[in-house]
Amino acid sequence: MTRDWWKHLILILGAIVVIAPFYMMVSYSFKSPGEIDRGEGGFFGRQEMMVDERCVKLRDPNRDDIAAAAPRFAGLDDNGIRAALVAEAEADCSLRPVVFNYKSAFTQAPLLRYLLNGVLVTASIFVIQAVVALPAAYALAKLRFWGREAVFALVLFCLLIPVHAIALPLYIMLAKLGLTNTYAALVVPWTISVFGIFLMRQFFMTVPDDLIDAARMDGMGELAIVWRVMLPTAIPALMAFAIFSVVAHWNDYFWPRIVVTGNRDLFTPPLGLREFKGDGDGSFFGPMMATATVIVTPLIVAFILAQKRFVEGITLNGMK
Amino acid sequence: MAGLSIDKITKRFGETEVLRQVSLDIADGEFVSLVGPSGCGKSTLLRIVAGLETQCAGDIRIGGQSVAGLRAADRNLSMVFQSYALYPHLSVGQNIAVPLRMRRLRGMQRLPVLGRFMPGARALARDIDQEVDRAAQMLEIGHLLHRKPGQLSGGQRQRVALGRALVRDPAAFLLDEPLSNLDAKLRVQTRTEIAELHRRLAATFIYVTHDQVEAMTMSDRIAVMMGGRILQCAAPHVVYDDPDTIEVAEFIGSPKINILPVELDGDGRVSLLDRDLGLVARNAPRGGASLGLRPEALRLASGGDAPLRGHVAHIENLGSELFAQVEVPGLGRRVTLRAAAQQRAALGLGTPVGLSFDRELALLFDASGARLRGITRAAPARVEVA
Repeated sequence: MTRDWWKHLILILGAIVVIAPFYMMVSYSFKSPGEIDRGEGGFFGRQEMMVDERCVKLRDPNRDDIAAAAPRFAGLDDNGIRAALVAEAEADCSLRPVVFNYKSAFTQAPLLRYLLNGVLVTASIFVIQAVVALPAAYALAKLRFWGREAVFALVLFCLLIPVHAIALPLYIMLAKLGLTNTYAALVVPWTISVFGIFLMRQFFMTVPDDLIDAARMDGMGELAIVWRVMLPTAIPALMAFAIFSVVAHWNDYFWPRIVVTGNRDLFTPPLGLREFKGDGDGSFFGPMMATATVIVTPLIVAFILAQKRFVEGITLNGMK
Repeated sequence: MAGLSIDKITKRFGETEVLRQVSLDIADGEFVSLVGPSGCGKSTLLRIVAGLETQCAGDIRIGGQSVAGLRAADRNLSMVFQSYALYPHLSVGQNIAVPLRMRRLRGMQRLPVLGRFMPGARALARDIDQEVDRAAQMLEIGHLLHRKPGQLSGGQRQRVALGRALVRDPAAFLLDEPLSNLDAKLRVQTRTEIAELHRRLAATFIYVTHDQVEAMTMSDRIAVMMGGRILQCAAPHVVYDDPDTIEVAEFIGSPKINILPVELDGDGRVSLLDRDLGLVARNAPRGGASLGLRPEALRLASGGDAPLRGHVAHIENLGSELFAQVEVPGLGRRVTLRAAAQQRAALGLGTPVGLSFDRELALLFDASGARLRGITRAAPARVEVA
């Protein structure tokens, strides 16, 4: 037993608190509605065959169906044929809970469309943020101009403004411009990230001035320096910023909920979760959690792939 | 290639004046060193020449043409930086190619992937590759072209930085302390290589250093800078043997020149510690002055006529020669003497020694530090008849 055991204990407790909701989410996405209600079945549930009520209801035989099926069930009266058809439908509609949950996630709502929207919106936001933040950060870190300190102070000040405080004016402006229910409404308010400017500026401060002077001697203009010299050296920091930016906007529920009101084609993944919020007849937790799992997975995969660079970027160790 | 002239450059950072009306003419193909202690303004002057810094007053002319208001990129100068400043994300070959690519390819042709397919880009790229190869051959770094700067040693990086500077044909090369990050051995070797490179290219070099040995060994002329002024600009042997001021004499030469306080009487006769040295300075005011004696101007003397007497306080043995520091009573500072290795036996620690000096090599400075020329040997001292 090392003497640092208590540190590990605290970390483990913290990890449990953080992981618990994810555990519930993944577990529910495996279980049948009954198991979720009763809280049984362990992590995976028993995976017994279950009947998809909605599927059965859709195949509820009407008079024509019964008439059409009559030759197959010779000797049965109409009620008998009806019972046989319902039994057939139930057999066709029975499936494992995990299949039911994930199938519902993709079929009950256009989840692929939502995921595509999510990719489009987060990628646009990040690219435009980088296009704005890199030159701004370069100017704040490396160029001498009148009022630079004041501008940087403004950047720091803007870091203090919570998004929700300016949501209403932003919404009104977008509405007046007729931009609500468009991709622009989802992207434009986030294109200037003061956090991005701040983070990149701090990184650029560590880039030696000689490198920039060498680039000038080699014939580069200031913009060429930003894209050809600063951007490649800043990749680790940019990756760190990418994680912050992508996670924040991929998971954002608040803003899309405000500016996308009617048009389901613009729904981002978190809005897709609403599809399973049953109003009168209870919520469909299984499919809802399956959707949540599908939404979260790309981020977790991306983080694991970029983990090393992410940590490099946060610690801001520039160049040797 | 072109000559370069610096005309009354003044530079202030806020209140402090770092360059005061500095003027210097550099001929085509000349190797000039700017040397001085740190903070003397030499790097600032080089950056102003490069266009990386703007002067408050004065003008720079390259090949007779004023470059006022011209960007660094448009001045056609190459610069080697102390930290080498290689692009860390590019290979050695790409690093060397940057100045050519930026100048010869148009914007579209420089695009990362598409650029290669732009009309004319292939032929230009081939030419550039050839020139990069030639520069690499000249510096013997051909085998490193595909490595990244992070994988190179300090000496190799330094060569790459030189390669990037000489791959195109600049009006002049500016070198800002390019050797100070190398270890001592490599520095000596690279010194020779840069001097040879200069001879081969016959290009104009401006070389900034705080190391007077580098300046002495490589340059056609040395400009000694202090306090934002050029105190003297002349060939290395002139600066060493015939300095204009006491600061120059003290800065150039290692070990440092011995400065001894002397008195001038009304006739200009020089005396040290009330002892007549047999020197006369004409047209010099009466009063205190300084006598500069290089360590090699001093020699051991026996007998009672030695003008300086003291005992050996410290010895530095360099193998081929040795430097002895002699404590002279009444002088308040040690006097450094260069002696041949064979004289080691006579220079044990604490040994009393007498020192005399070569009167031809004595340098005299007035109270303000300016050089007093026209020193002659005094007529033999008046014989005092008892």
